[in-house]
Amino acid sequence: MEKVCRDWASQAFGKGMVKAEYWDDFEVNAKAAAAEIFRVKDFSEGEAKLNELLQEYAPKEIIAVGGDENSAIKNIYDKIAQSGRKIYTGKYDIYEHRDSADIGISTAEFCVAETGSLCVDNYSYEARVTSMLPFVNIVFVNANYVVKDVTVACKIIGKVFNKGYVGFVTGPSRTADIERVLSLGVHGPNKLLIIAVEDFEGVR
Amino acid sequence: MAERNLKQEIQKKLKDDVMQGALSKFAEQYPGSRLNAYKGQDIEELREELRAMKHDAVQHIDQLADDFEASLRKRGTEVFRAKDGQAVKDYIIKICKENGVKRVVKSKSMASEEIHLNECFGEHDIRVKETDLGEWMIAIAGERPSHMVMPAIHMNRYQCAEMFEQELHHEVPGEDIPNMIQLARKNLRQEFLQADMGITGANFGIAENGAIGLVTNEGNARLVTTLPRIHVVLIGYEKLIPKTEDAAKILRLLPRNGTCQRMTSYMTMVDGPTRVMYKDAGGKVVETDRKQYVILLDNGRLEAAKDPVFQQAYQCVRCASCLNVCPIWTLVGGHVYGHVYSGGIGAILTGLFNGVDTFAQFSDLCIGCRKCTTICPGKIPIPDIIDELRSRYVQKHGAPGMDKTMFNMVLNDRGMFHKLLLKAGSIGQAPFKKGKFIRHLPLFMEEMTKGRSLPTIASEPFRDRVERLSRKNPSKPKKRVAYFSGCNMDFVFADTSENVVKVLQSLGMEVVYPIEQACCGKPILGVGDREAGRETAKKNIAAFEKVNADVILSACPTCTETLHETYMKLFENDPEWKARARAFCSKVREFSSFVAEEYKKTGRMVHTKGGEKVTYHDSCHMKRGLGIYEEPRALIDATPGVELVEMHNCDKCCGMAGSFGMKYQEVSIPMLNEKVDNIKATGAATAVVACPACMMQIGGGLDKAETGIQTKHIADLLAEKL
Ligand code: SF4
Ligand code: SF4
Repeated sequence: MEKVCRDWASQAFGKGMVKAEYWDDFEVNAKAAAAEIFRVKDFSEGEAKLNELLQEYAPKEIIAVGGDENSAIKNIYDKIAQSGRKIYTGKYDIYEHRDSADIGISTAEFCVAETGSLCVDNYSYEARVTSMLPFVNIVFVNANYVVKDVTVACKIIGKVFNKGYVGFVTGPSRTADIERVLSLGVHGPNKLLIIAVEDFEGVR
Repeated sequence: MAERNLKQEIQKKLKDDVMQGALSKFAEQYPGSRLNAYKGQDIEELREELRAMKHDAVQHIDQLADDFEASLRKRGTEVFRAKDGQAVKDYIIKICKENGVKRVVKSKSMASEEIHLNECFGEHDIRVKETDLGEWMIAIAGERPSHMVMPAIHMNRYQCAEMFEQELHHEVPGEDIPNMIQLARKNLRQEFLQADMGITGANFGIAENGAIGLVTNEGNARLVTTLPRIHVVLIGYEKLIPKTEDAAKILRLLPRNGTCQRMTSYMTMVDGPTRVMYKDAGGKVVETDRKQYVILLDNGRLEAAKDPVFQQAYQCVRCASCLNVCPIWTLVGGHVYGHVYSGGIGAILTGLFNGVDTFAQFSDLCIGCRKCTTICPGKIPIPDIIDELRSRYVQKHGAPGMDKTMFNMVLNDRGMFHKLLLKAGSIGQAPFKKGKFIRHLPLFMEEMTKGRSLPTIASEPFRDRVERLSRKNPSKPKKRVAYFSGCNMDFVFADTSENVVKVLQSLGMEVVYPIEQACCGKPILGVGDREAGRETAKKNIAAFEKVNADVILSACPTCTETLHETYMKLFENDPEWKARARAFCSKVREFSSFVAEEYKKTGRMVHTKGGEKVTYHDSCHMKRGLGIYEEPRALIDATPGVELVEMHNCDKCCGMAGSFGMKYQEVSIPMLNEKVDNIKATGAATAVVACPACMMQIGGGLDKAETGIQTKHIADLLAEKL
């Protein structure tokens, strides 16, 4: 999958900018923005959580990205496929199923504590449709990668953003255009489920 | 544009119960929700960072634009600089033709609304759809957005459902909002998937790498920039910023002020052509770089960038919070402003983009209360820019005929003024007077007393009382205070002026009254006639030079602001008068802050316990113009026998605002009624003010509503307890 930056941790994160200690603020603010958060120790716990969520939402089709960059994630996707669920991870397959899939699984680079946002590297087309078109978006992120605020987040982005597509995702898609009543899932997902993995690198 | 009847349009909006309900509810909730989103942040520091960054950007706008363009070209984007709306339309149609574009989706862009972009597609048989839910409904209704962030805030769910029915050709129940949302999702999803071209605006454009930023909640901008094979960006020069990290300075304020969120659901930065997959003409799925075209829109912006006053409009990030707190906007809504941008900033942007002529009428709808200046993330002095635009307009077209004649004849000639007032009064006053108020005026003046009583004209103006009062001046005065009364305090509230003198004398001050003083000039400066304003200023400066006082004091905040600040700015090109103005301005003081200072010095500022309830109304010019709001409260606190209770929205404009309250009484009276309700709710026996215009308005409102609540100037309250 094409990315703005191959390795955000080594190329973009400056010294002292990214700290696990900002996690609590992130969690509070992301929840306030209607995201659901599941913090897990490692990918095997993450896999169990994901399976639970798949049980709950019972998708007919899944599209998923991020396996190419992380072998543990790839492993999980393979097992989902073996279990008999329809999961598409190749970009042409994702293209074909982009409008019919009901769950999209993707990854984020880091979390922003101040706002409860995920910073996403969405250079590739498949990453964007995976996170935007299905009703549910499940995101894997490293629970240790949290920055304090938007100022630091933009500094980090500025270091590597030379071309492409990056952004913040903060909760699900929402609108208040009818009588200022908050409604979720207007164009993008109506659920944003974050699986934050403590030991993200270990299995790489 | 056809001649409009603004008053009639306003009447109609005031009778629109749906809109009134929505706006008043919103106005009530907004300030608290906004503050909540800033919890833990230093708002002032964030505002200053944004202001400074944008201010700096506009100083180098040509360089930034060159860099932005070069960055984009390097990355393979086509860049086009458009002089005006027509150039944009021609260019976009050309792209559509070249690329066989049949279907277009748009995410919200005020710039495209500004130039009425959508009009051009119909002629060429190109289907265009707005994808922001509010904009989509508005487009179906064939209306203009009434708010920059919430375009459909003036509609209720049933009216929205009608728009759905019109578009989808089946019944849509208005009760069920979630159902409507899903219908929109389904319908618009197909539009996204089938579109050849996506058009977006930009919340910012970054010079160093050519990225544009898009802030949305629905995520429609992400789809518009992802699914179609062509991406067109329409961006105004004012959106350019130097670096990626500068985006943070916008992003930390825009969502908080705009929608009371720490961050919107989606913040997207797109830099150059990004990857896209689509089926080519032969039905084969291909992956390529998307074609990207960026159009930099001028339409008056570059001209404004060169002007030190107008360039401040570049600090605007279109959060619309200035509308949310504007006492006029929240009453009349966005449509009466006549163009796509509404509110005070709307009058400015319209003036800059569409020419100063279109600005004139809507500028009336800013009463200079300065509420917006306290929350604008870019710290734009909206009413000051409006003043400047008015003055440019007057330079071009001359002052509105009546205003000028009336001013020269009446306000500049005090003797004449009083005679005229008494005469008008004698028609009106005698039969209709009740106590100190006129409750009704006959015939053509009837409008003025609808909803408020007017105070009677003092039979003995203050100027005729001066000789008697000055006999009580102390023999060894601490200071010599020259009193500037202003029109109201001379002719209407002469008793209050007398109380001002008494309080000052009690503090050991000698009070003198230069009899040649005129009106402060605000009424004529307010309509933009600086030439006439200068004549008045000279007259006053000369009159006060003669008495050689230590302090020049006024008990009217609007006069004080004019004497203290505006006079300083009137003589930029006249060194002699500039020096004289400086000497004059440096002595000008506002009554309550001066008295509070003297109270402190003399040990009179001590808390006194309990008594009759009084409440205090902050005049706009007093609180936000002069920054004085603690002193009057401290003085009330030090006054024996009274106890201060705060009212809800104590600093919200009472609706008088100079001549506005008379000219647009249909807007002024609802504002007054709200104020009266808030005062009543405190259970206070007296409403204290520090401004004669508020005193007239609030006093009139409390009388008309027969509340039995008194209105007093702070000088009256203090003098009573001497
Ligand atoms: S003038 Fe200020 S408050 Fe109004 S829209 Fe612009 S940035 Fe927001
Ligand atoms: S100064 Fe007052 S009336 Fe004028 S735009 Fe600002 S809030 Fe509205």
